[in-house]
Amino acid sequence: MTGLGSAVREFLLAFADDEHLIGQQHTEWIGVAPFLEEDLAFSSIAQDELGHAAALYAIVAGDGDPVDDDLRIDDLAFGRAPEDWRSAQLVEITSDDWAHALVRHWLYDAAEQLRWEQVAQSSLTPLAEAAARAEREEQYHRRHADGLLDVLLPVPDSGDRLRTALADLLPLAVGLFDPVAGEAEAVATGVASAPFDSRLDEWTDRVRRRFDVDPARFLPAAPTGRLDRHPDFGPLLVRMREVIDLDPAAIW
Amino acid sequence: MTTDLLADRVRSAVATVDDPEYPGISIIDLGLLESLDTTPDGHVAVGLIPTFSGCPALSMIADDVRRAVDDVNGVASVDVRWLGAPVWSVDRVTETARATMAREFTVAVRIGRGPVACPRCGSPTDERSMFGPSRCRAVHTCPTCAEVVEVMRA
Repeated sequence: MTGLGSAVREFLLAFADDEHLIGQQHTEWIGVAPFLEEDLAFSSIAQDELGHAAALYAIVAGDGDPVDDDLRIDDLAFGRAPEDWRSAQLVEITSDDWAHALVRHWLYDAAEQLRWEQVAQSSLTPLAEAAARAEREEQYHRRHADGLLDVLLPVPDSGDRLRTALADLLPLAVGLFDPVAGEAEAVATGVASAPFDSRLDEWTDRVRRRFDVDPARFLPAAPTGRLDRHPDFGPLLVRMREVIDLDPAAIW
Repeated sequence: MTTDLLADRVRSAVATVDDPEYPGISIIDLGLLESLDTTPDGHVAVGLIPTFSGCPALSMIADDVRRAVDDVNGVASVDVRWLGAPVWSVDRVTETARATMAREFTVAVRIGRGPVACPRCGSPTDERSMFGPSRCRAVHTCPTCAEVVEVMRA
């Protein structure tokens, strides 16, 4: 997209980075999820999130066509130094417990729905189009996470594990709503309809209803920001770069 | 040679490209072709829409289309693009493709939110897994004939 200002570019990168990393995190459950349907679910959901990331990177990199912009997308997705990422720490941390992964999936997707809504009427046409495609896919993601939580939250042991994961994840999940660089410019130019933190109350309300807890108990006193990477990010980036490090010109 | 005839030949060439997930089913029958423009001097622009954002076959399909159109007599250049809109939906799958999917792949196409009919016996199926072996298919079973049914859905 020619003429995309650097501020709007930053704004879109934060969204793209979150989508990329949550997609990557979900892929790491393929083959080790607790049952076959979950292998399938996490692989499909991961594929969608990576598709959303590719669509967003394509808007940042070029004209919004994920195939045309393949190599430029790779540069953004794999070529940046850690300090140039704008991801939230929620999607950077390693989840080696399935309850943890499931709660993160729910928290992230509840926020993601609101985030796409913020750009559904975007002045940036490819972004509005990506939002329309994404929402159709996200309905399934939310149904998946909610369906499991409906069954597992009332079970004593499962419910305890899920609530423990929630307490651990909530402070980081709120970081999804931290104002990102370029957001003011994005709102001023109609790329987004309003600052994302204007939806925070709606999200915390959903969390309260879903888990029957008061999220305020877990919220951080100050924004966590998107400029500092979580210690888990370094090893994650190494895993993500395994193929490109072997063969920078690889096409797959 | 008129432009209309060229457009027909190009369309026939695009129709020879199958979806990698469904050998034997044309991408046109799956509703992937959104636009096809030809100029009198043989420049062709093909606009496709993906079934899902994360479809890993986009490059492969675009390459196949480019190759097929390139071979058409009278084509000087071809531009294949993935379009951002409209959003693909199962409504775009033709009756022909639905019949082939049911017969060859035991795949039903889900229209709307109603029950899905088993491609073998026509009974309503039960959803087993919202996600299946590929991104656009859920897994159902048929309580009547016990068949496992994959369901292509929005």
